[in-house]
Amino acid sequence: MVDSNLQTEDRDVLQDLAERYGVEGVRSCYACGTCAAGCPARRVNPAYNPRKIIRMLVLNEAKSLLEKDTIWLCSSCYTCQERCPQGIKITDLITALRNLAVQQGRSPSGVGMQANLVRSQGRLYALDEFDDKKRKKAGLPSLSPQIEEAVRLLKEES
Amino acid sequence: MPADKSDDIRIGVFICHCGSNIAGYLDMEALGTYAETLPNVAFVQRNLYTCSEGGINEIKKAIGQQNLNRVVVASCTPRTHEPLFRSSCGEAGLNPYLFEMVNIRDQCSWVHMQEKEEGTNKAKDLIRMGVAKAALLEPQKPIMSPVFPRALVIGGGISGMTAALALANRGYEVVIVEREGRLGGMLLDLNRLGPSMTDALQLAESTVKAVSCHPKITVFTGSRVTGVEGFIGKYSADIETPTGGKKIDLGVVIIATGARVFVPAGLYGYDAERVITQLEFEPRLKQGIDPSIKSVVMIQCVGARNEERPYCSRICCQTAVKNALLIKEKDPDTKVTILYRDMQMYGVENEEMFRESKAKGIRYVNYNPDRPPQVQAGSVLVYNALLGKDMELPAHMVVLSTPLLSREDSDEVGKLIRVPVDANGFFLEGHVKLKPLDFATDGVFLCGSARFPANIREAIAQGLGAASRASIPLSKGSVVVEPIISVLADMDACRGCGLCVALCPYGALEIQKTDKGRKVKVIDVACKGCGVCAATCYQHALTINSFTDNQIDAQIEAFLG
Repeated sequence: MVDSNLQTEDRDVLQDLAERYGVEGVRSCYACGTCAAGCPARRVNPAYNPRKIIRMLVLNEAKSLLEKDTIWLCSSCYTCQERCPQGIKITDLITALRNLAVQQGRSPSGVGMQANLVRSQGRLYALDEFDDKKRKKAGLPSLSPQIEEAVRLLKEES
Repeated sequence: MPADKSDDIRIGVFICHCGSNIAGYLDMEALGTYAETLPNVAFVQRNLYTCSEGGINEIKKAIGQQNLNRVVVASCTPRTHEPLFRSSCGEAGLNPYLFEMVNIRDQCSWVHMQEKEEGTNKAKDLIRMGVAKAALLEPQKPIMSPVFPRALVIGGGISGMTAALALANRGYEVVIVEREGRLGGMLLDLNRLGPSMTDALQLAESTVKAVSCHPKITVFTGSRVTGVEGFIGKYSADIETPTGGKKIDLGVVIIATGARVFVPAGLYGYDAERVITQLEFEPRLKQGIDPSIKSVVMIQCVGARNEERPYCSRICCQTAVKNALLIKEKDPDTKVTILYRDMQMYGVENEEMFRESKAKGIRYVNYNPDRPPQVQAGSVLVYNALLGKDMELPAHMVVLSTPLLSREDSDEVGKLIRVPVDANGFFLEGHVKLKPLDFATDGVFLCGSARFPANIREAIAQGLGAASRASIPLSKGSVVVEPIISVLADMDACRGCGLCVALCPYGALEIQKTDKGRKVKVIDVACKGCGVCAATCYQHALTINSFTDNQIDAQIEAFLG
C-alpha cells in the first residue's frame, strides 16, 4: 500500500526500491539500532548510520539522502542485513540507493574513477610489476593487466 | 488407640538425616543420644528420610507401639513438610496438633557446614526447645463454617458481567451492583475491539441480555454498596438502590469496579473537539469521521509514565494502532502518524496488528518526554532525535492516548471490604503471580481494570478466572480453617481498646458489646494466625493456638536452661 504520508518524490523512491530492487518492508523498521551497532564502516566514520538512513527514507527525507555522500561509505559486508530482526535487506537497500543516485547523476568523484578503472581493466585495483614479481617468487604465472573477459562482458552489458 | 491427652506425656523424637543434607554436617549419633536424655521423651529414632514412606510408617508405628502422645520431627522446614507429618499423626490416631517440627537443616546444618561441633550443639538447643514446647501442646479441632451460596459482584462492566454469568451458570445466585443506570460499563462507549475488530456494542448487548435474563442473577443498577460486614461464607452487604436500602446475605465478593479514562485538561491543547482522547474518538469512528479530515496525529503516553502517574496503562498503544488502522480502512489516503515513547504491543496478535499498520503506511515517530510534541493550529511539531530536527506534521485532528485511572472511590471501596489498593489506587491482588485474582482476605476476588488497565479480552479472562476462584468455597459449601488462630484467652483482661482490630490485616477481629463491656471477638474463619494481635495486646488477653505465651516461655527457658 502507498504511504500517504510521503511526498511524491519520496514515495517514488520507496516504490522503486521495492519494485526494481526487491527491497521491501522498510517501514517495518522499529529503529532498534542493531544495524548501526554492528556496522564496521560506522566505526571508522560515524557519519555513516544505517539506522538513520532508514529513518530518513520513512520520514520523507529520501531526497536529501540521495544528495549526500554517506550512502557511499557502506563496505557491503552484509552484517546489518544478516542481523536485522525485521528482515530488512539493508545492504541491498544501500546498493539500490547508490544506483538511484547514479541515475540522478549524483555520486562522489572517486566513485566515477573507480567505475572507469573496472570498465577499462576489468579490475578495481591496477596491477603493477611488483605484483608480478611476488607471483613469480611463489611460482605463479604472471597476469595480464586487463581481464579481457570482464571488459567484454561489461561492454556488452552497457 | 493412644489417648490424645494424658497426664503422662510421652514424646517421640524423630531425627532426620535428610540424606546428607543434615547428616553430612552434624553428628547425628550425638543428637540421638542427647534427645533420649530430654524430659518426657519416650522414644527416639533416626531416619535417612523421615518424609519417605518408610519414615512416615515408622512414626505411625511408634505412635501405636510406644503409646506416644506427642511427636517431634527434627528435620527440614515446616513450610514444605509440616502438613505431611501432621496428617501422618492424624492417620495414626494422634491429634495432628500434638505435633511439633524443629528445623535443623535450613538455618542449622546448611549454614554451619564448616562447624560440625557448633552446628551439632545448635541442633541440640533447637531439639530441646521443640521438646519443651511439645510437652505443652494442646489438641485442636479444625474450624468449619458454612458458605452462603450467593456471590456479590460489584461492577456491571464486561468483567463483572462475565464473572456473574459464569457463577450463575454453575447454579449459584449472583447479585450485581452497578453504579450507572445500565449495565455494560466502558464497553458501551467503544467502537470496535482490536485485534479482531469485534463490534463492541454487539458484545455489550448480548452480554447484558444474557445477564438480565438469567434467573439466578439479580441486578441493581444506579446502586451502590454502602457496607460489607462479615467474613468468607458469611458476608452481609448493605446496598443503596433507587428504591431504598437493601441488606443481602452472601458468601463471596468479586470486585469488578473497572477504571476511568484520564481527561487531559490543559495538555496538548485538549479541547474535546479537534484535540480529543481515544475514548472520544471511538464514537466518531463509529459514525464515520468527517471526510475533510485528511491527517491525524496521535500522541501516546499523555499524562502517563510521569511523576504523578508513573505506570504504563498497557492498553493505549493497542488502542491507538487499532484506531489508526480503522482510519486507514475508511480512507487509505488519510495521513496517520503516531508519536510514541515506547510501543507496548504485547502478544502475538497485537504485534501482528502493529506490523500490518506499518505496512499500511501508518507512521511512527519517537518523541522524548523532555521535548514533548507541540500541538499547533493545523499541525503538530515534534523533535526527532535521530534526524536531529523538528518535524512538522499536518494534523486536522489530534488524538491523545490517555491512561486508565483507578476509580475515584477505590480507596473507599477497599476500606469497606478491607482489601488494599496500590499507590495508583488500583486494587492489590494477594500475590502478583500465585494469587492474581484473589485478595489476601479469603472470600474476596477481583477482575478487570479494577486491578490494572485491561483490554476486553483480559477483562473477560479475568472475570472467568475470578468466578472460578470464587466457586471453590461456594461449591464446597463450607470452609475449613486451620485452628492455629487467635483466641481471646483472657476475656477479663481485654479492655476493648480496639488496637488489635485496627492492626489485623485480615479483618478477623471486631469489638462487641457484652455484659462485661466492650470486648474483642475473633472471627475464627477469617483469622490466619499471623499473631499481630497477640503481639500487640498489652493486656495479653489474646493468644495464638500452638503459639501460646506458655509454650513460647517454655522454649525460651529450655534454651537458657
